[in-house]
Amino acid sequence: MPDQERDFPAALFSILKEILGADGFHADEAARLVYSRDASHLTLGQPLAVALPADDSQLRRVVELCRAAGVPLVCRGTGTGLSGGAVPGPGAVVLGTSRLMEFGPVDQSGRRVRVQPGVLNDGVSRHAAGCGLHFAPDPSSQSAATIGGNIAENAGGPHCLRHGVTLQHLLHLEWSDAQGRLLRTGRGVEVERGLDLVSLLCGSEGTLGLVTSADLRLVPNPPDIATILAFFPDLEDAARAVVGLMSDGLAPVAVEMVDQAMLVAVEAAFSFGFPTDVEAAMIVEFVGCPEEIFEDCDRASALLADHGAREVRAAADDAERIELWKCRKKAFGAVGRLAPGYVTMDVVVPLGELPGLVREIQVIKDDHGVKIATAFHAADGNLHPGVHYDDRDPDQTRRAHAAADSIIRAALDRDGSITGEHGVGIEKLHVVPWQIDGEAARLQRGIKEIFDPGDILNPGKLHPPADASFRQVKTLPSGIDFRWANLTVTAPADASLAEIQQVAMERGFWIPVGVFSENQGIGLGSGGTVGDLVANLVAGPAFCAAGTARQYLLELWAETGDGRLFHAGAPVFKNVAGYDLVHMLCGSGQVYARPLAATFQLRPIPESVGCWRFPMADPLRREADLVRLTSYLANRDDGLGGPVLMVDSSRGGSESTVVLVPGRSRPWDLGRAGQDMVDILGVSGSSGHLESKFGQVSEILDGGLIPDWALSSPDWTFFARVPGKNAGPKTWPTEVDRWIWQAAPRLVWSPDPAPQLPGWYADRLFTAGRLVSPGAPATGVPLDFLREMKVLFDPSGALETPPWLEGENA
Amino acid sequence: MPDPRATATVTAASAEGRQLDDLLRQCVQCGLCLPHCATWLATGNEVQSPRGRLLLLGELLRSTGMESGSVPVPFLQAFDQCIGCRACEAACPSGVPFSLLEHGQRQAAARLSDRAAGAPKPAVPGAVLRRMDRPGWLRFLSLTAGLARGLLEVVVGKAWRRRLDAGPAGAGQLVRLLGSMPASPRADEDLSHMLDKLCGRRTGMDGRLAQDVPVQTRDHSEPGLRVAFFNGCANAALMPGTSRRFRDLLGWAGCRVEEPFFQDCCGALASHTGRPGRAAELEARNRKAFSGALETGAVIVAEAAGCGHELRNYGGDFDENVIDAVVLLAGLDLPPLGRVPLRVVYHDPCHARHGQGIITEPRRLLAAIPGLELVEPEEPEVCCGSGGAWGLRYPEISGGLGRRKAANLAATGADLVVTSNPGCLGQIADALLLDAPDLPILPLTDLIWYAVQQARKSLPD
Repeated sequence: MPDQERDFPAALFSILKEILGADGFHADEAARLVYSRDASHLTLGQPLAVALPADDSQLRRVVELCRAAGVPLVCRGTGTGLSGGAVPGPGAVVLGTSRLMEFGPVDQSGRRVRVQPGVLNDGVSRHAAGCGLHFAPDPSSQSAATIGGNIAENAGGPHCLRHGVTLQHLLHLEWSDAQGRLLRTGRGVEVERGLDLVSLLCGSEGTLGLVTSADLRLVPNPPDIATILAFFPDLEDAARAVVGLMSDGLAPVAVEMVDQAMLVAVEAAFSFGFPTDVEAAMIVEFVGCPEEIFEDCDRASALLADHGAREVRAAADDAERIELWKCRKKAFGAVGRLAPGYVTMDVVVPLGELPGLVREIQVIKDDHGVKIATAFHAADGNLHPGVHYDDRDPDQTRRAHAAADSIIRAALDRDGSITGEHGVGIEKLHVVPWQIDGEAARLQRGIKEIFDPGDILNPGKLHPPADASFRQVKTLPSGIDFRWANLTVTAPADASLAEIQQVAMERGFWIPVGVFSENQGIGLGSGGTVGDLVANLVAGPAFCAAGTARQYLLELWAETGDGRLFHAGAPVFKNVAGYDLVHMLCGSGQVYARPLAATFQLRPIPESVGCWRFPMADPLRREADLVRLTSYLANRDDGLGGPVLMVDSSRGGSESTVVLVPGRSRPWDLGRAGQDMVDILGVSGSSGHLESKFGQVSEILDGGLIPDWALSSPDWTFFARVPGKNAGPKTWPTEVDRWIWQAAPRLVWSPDPAPQLPGWYADRLFTAGRLVSPGAPATGVPLDFLREMKVLFDPSGALETPPWLEGENA
Repeated sequence: MPDPRATATVTAASAEGRQLDDLLRQCVQCGLCLPHCATWLATGNEVQSPRGRLLLLGELLRSTGMESGSVPVPFLQAFDQCIGCRACEAACPSGVPFSLLEHGQRQAAARLSDRAAGAPKPAVPGAVLRRMDRPGWLRFLSLTAGLARGLLEVVVGKAWRRRLDAGPAGAGQLVRLLGSMPASPRADEDLSHMLDKLCGRRTGMDGRLAQDVPVQTRDHSEPGLRVAFFNGCANAALMPGTSRRFRDLLGWAGCRVEEPFFQDCCGALASHTGRPGRAAELEARNRKAFSGALETGAVIVAEAAGCGHELRNYGGDFDENVIDAVVLLAGLDLPPLGRVPLRVVYHDPCHARHGQGIITEPRRLLAAIPGLELVEPEEPEVCCGSGGAWGLRYPEISGGLGRRKAANLAATGADLVVTSNPGCLGQIADALLLDAPDLPILPLTDLIWYAVQQARKSLPD
């Protein structure tokens, strides 16, 4: 070995030691051994050293130095990952975030908080508890898992059923690229377009950049929670019950399940008193006001009983509820008592395929003669079958891994995904080609090369070798295909959105992005297509802010500028197999790729809508007020639909603001939001007026829809439509759409000019009813990366090229 | 499970090695123990975490055998830096017995001192440290410390602790030692006066002096519980007032308190400082001293959580019959408690919470005091960093943990901290002097005693 090479770690180490101090740099035998492992039980070898930076400038210095020295960097939080994503190869430096644990103050009205990556997941909720807020993603490891790790893996958890996975709770990221540059990427409001780098970074397993701080979205703590516990003598019945529950239009916040083997392990560990002679135990949780959840629980209990539940009961009190969740969250650890070795999978299938997969896993178990215990995030179609074995017995080990691969095959045969939560890491490298086609894999490798040309960041993870035999591109769908049991709809790009929404609404579901009825031709109107929705994020005006289309897009077929067809995503609710091309491309117009077909998630139609009207009395304050309102509304969580903000200048010369909040029979939430907005705007007569009676609102409506209840003060009006459960055909969104146009023909989607928030990669969507094309990204967003991405996806420049994408690198 | 005190060679192939290996394999490496481990929180280094230490132990067992001479120093240091608080054990979903780590600690204790390079530099000379379990010596230290503190308060001012903290390293350590010497009011009047003042501050009223009314003891027609009192070196020497008041409480509750002669230190300190011989000697002495009491059906009460934990670890009679002071009080029929209008936060000593599973009893006791508002701190399960002799060997980590604990306790907005172990009391008192000098800390039993006194005041003359 040449001298220079032998000296190189020593030289690098002495600089690192100088920068990080004795507490921040460890190269001893103990550190190298301990940091060679994580929760996955996989190892690649021992790292050279461990760097524990204490601030982001130290972190960036480490990145810069390691890149210059050509030393790979593996970022690590607390090592709770299950796919080996944080396991370093020999010769790598581990970069731990355990000394980056600072919180920013909670922005209560904006419902957000800035944190460093080493902050623990449940620490965020504890930090925000005083403001009545929490961080929704709740992986079972949440007591130890870090936010940085959650972002790297796009972590899920039981309550992601209602609130969405980590990606949906990221507003803004500060991150270091492979050169140690500090970059910013984010979302000022939900409505934004362009190539979404947040979607790309989230779930990229530390291979593209290292997050140094994250602005997280917080959701309000519910006023009341009810948890039902059900036991099923038959596992397949239980799986069918989950499908039944969701098809009925119920909106539980979590539906968790464990099979008999898991139940026995949990019972052995915690002696909760569960019956162990049943094949499945299920937890269903609802939140809302007491009356509402009482009704939901009733409906759910009856449904579960119909599907063969032996015993259905509600948790008696908060203590029992908390205890139940503790058992669920510690189930994984409890399996340590079953056998010394295990493979824990996290396959996902479309919801309707759950009973079939459950049946097949039983067959696989018998065929391979292995022991399997399974926990389910059932309504997400996401399950964790754990194959348990004694790793000292080579035959058992072989059979266990063969069984695991069979389960993954079975999930893929059902249109599922190899991983919904844990990521690819090194554990699933060999199965990635079973799911991803060669063209999508090529694009993913291309992205890695753009962001990390030296292959410094977590090399050897997530990407299978280029010469692996990837599957063929999944067949391009030719017509509209509703899968009611899966709650999805797949359609080609030219399919009419109006038609899709019409059919879906008749069954009580829709894509929560508007109805595209025959109105004044504003926005995409009745001519909108699936392709428009994918490319432009939103379509119809009224309900776009139920989240953008990005939130409901699951799967995408598209072609690159040079006509190569690729497929990304899967028709499932959680999927972290490789980079998230689907959400990254959604909303990027036709600049990088041309969408050909897509699968969207269907959600129950909101059953209520609230409408606030505030006069814009002071024109000087108008813009500031609108920015504050937009930011508040963008961070609101309504479960089934977010708010819409409109400025109405049609009435009596003075402008007024109209805010619409669709929800699900939740007057408590509508009421609270009303009070919040009144507070934000500081309009007079704000305190205590929400109790006032139905009043002078009739003049706002020109007919059509009559509100069910309304409140008003001299300065504002609030009314809501809360139809009963049996209020006939669920076509009221059409009515409301019409009503909005009647009441306020001149609408602006977001404040004009759009607020220039740092790192806000966004733009206005519609002005006076016309689609506006995306503008240049805000400062901090790496234009050079975007230009290289353009070349990767559209080498010949055949697709649209906005002016700001041309020219030299900044 | 294998006896951690055994000294026979343990290798992967031996029967004990296989048994150890099985236990180690119970760890699924989930990492849920990390946030509960004080040393990980303090350093951010996973080597200083329960999972890290188990990995090192496993490696040791597989590669070299437990007793081989080639154990790398960083391994030994990792074991040595474990405080032994057992918070990890309570947090572990797989039920790993973390007493496993004692195998590593035994190694560390035996070898680390020989290795100039790896041995931590203790803040206190070994000779002083080893004498810490001698009450006479402790009493001397306590008096000296009390005098020094008084002197500093006069010379440097009330904020002496904070002002001198920035001093040169050696001086800083001495100041820390002074600040962390456990102490409680010696005279009853001092305690009453202090709490009266605190209550007055809260309610805006001046404290009243206790009147000379006899405590209304319960009428016990049947013979009371027989309690053999375990003195504990720190309590007896450093906090004699508290011990006396606790005995008063037992008497008022109708207990018959006896104090066996020839009892000695429980041996915890000797174990912590790597002297199993001395620990065994002390155990034998205590077994003999308490044998009579146990034969006649008495329970042994340990005032300090640390002593109780160590005594119960003797096993046999002791495991069954040693009872923690707080648990005993919580089960007794105490005299009426008077109003104490304070917001109080309780600090769980690890030896109580993790070592003996005592969580609800102290809270129940406190909640029974009228007017008292009990608040919970963040990270209640995390060690305060005292660890007896451990804190003297790792003063920096220990000091940092103390301040972390003090910050969490102060953040509750409490008027008073109470706890039930002298080590924790001293450690937290020192950190509070630094960061929250207006927040006092007292032994839990002193607050109960005061509540009984308060009830006396409200009796008609």
